[in-house]
Amino acid sequence: MSEDKLLAEMQALRDRVAGITGTAVASRDGLIIREDTGGVNPENLAALTATSLAVAQRLAIEAGQGTLREALTKSSGGYVAIYAVGAAAVLVLLGDEGLDITRLHRESRAAVDSIEALLA
Amino acid sequence: MTVTSDDGSVGPLREALGVCAAAGMSGALRVTGRPGGAIHFADGQVVAIETPGAPSPEVLLLRSHRVTESDWDAAFAAAAVAGRPMSTELVARQLMGAGELEILLRTAVADAIFVLASGTVEEYRAEPGQLEFVLPLQPGAETDWLLAEASRRIRVLATLPHQDRVVAASAMSADSVRLGDGQDEILALADGRRTTRDIAFALGRGVYATTLALARLRAAGQLVTASSRAPGPAQGQPAQEQPVRPALPRRQPEPARQERRHRLPSRTPDLRAPLSLLRPRSGRDPGS
Repeated sequence: MSEDKLLAEMQALRDRVAGITGTAVASRDGLIIREDTGGVNPENLAALTATSLAVAQRLAIEAGQGTLREALTKSSGGYVAIYAVGAAAVLVLLGDEGLDITRLHRESRAAVDSIEALLA
Repeated sequence: MTVTSDDGSVGPLREALGVCAAAGMSGALRVTGRPGGAIHFADGQVVAIETPGAPSPEVLLLRSHRVTESDWDAAFAAAAVAGRPMSTELVARQLMGAGELEILLRTAVADAIFVLASGTVEEYRAEPGQLEFVLPLQPGAETDWLLAEASRRIRVLATLPHQDRVVAASAMSADSVRLGDGQDEILALADGRRTTRDIAFALGRGVYATTLALARLRAAGQLVTASSRAPGPAQGQPAQEQPVRPALPRRQPEPARQERRHRLPSRTPDLRAPLSLLRPRSGRDPGS
């Protein structure tokens, strides 16, 4: 089932990048497609993520900075990273303070492409 | 080429650290691998290490609640305004004792080297120049001591069975006897998805200390190896269920000792070329 493959892809990303504590894939209108958040409320996360992505994309346009690649929120207790998946979905990653951001940058592109293919 | 070694990646690290120490380098030794990171030197001694594999001093202080977030933020802002080091500010505000802070910083550096040595090292790159750190270890740590400590810890752990993802052997209810000594928090965090490193970060404790604590809890039957991934919640439904947790202690065969491998660099580490740049520095002029 493509849904199991999707979860497997999300879990594989968590294995590859140290510090990822949870993941979720949601639709652009804020509904959960697949979640592995490790306890964070997935519905709230999905709704906020979809809105955040839309705002971040508009910010990039407003700032004349081209296409949004990643929206990263850094807080005292960790990170939230948001990526557009095609035109219809969004990937959100939750990380602790030790998130390997360097490796995340390397892995996220391929992960987004894989997830987009699985959702197609 | 991968080589199995009882000493983890200590060998390659020893070589690289030795060059930096001998040169009295000030700057960063960037280590690629898993977890990889950056070892920061001042005059040949290690003052800070950044790695995703081990909690930083800030995480150790804040997550353990040794210092509150608001106290930290206030001290940080005040230190920046006054141009004072954060360590001075923390001590001046009596948020920590000077000796206690030095021990914590030394512990953090030793833990980070242990984590690097326990992982894989692929390449290193020396970058002279001096960076600012929030809480540098001063005076810095000697590389010989750090490597000896890392080797010792690796040897200790080699005698203990430990597995990375563990889960509480039985669902702890509010009526359960409290184990005390931080063990309750560890059991609460051992959900089968968190690795030892993840638990260390969540607790604000070193990875080595957390590994030992988990091994002890395993030996006492309080933790078991996490089963193959628990399924996520069913789709199209509100995700209210938690992943399946075993309700009863399970008898699991002892897992094969995790093989520690280090891969020798594909070429001799090119530390000679930049040696001319690794002059001892007294000032703070970065680069050359």
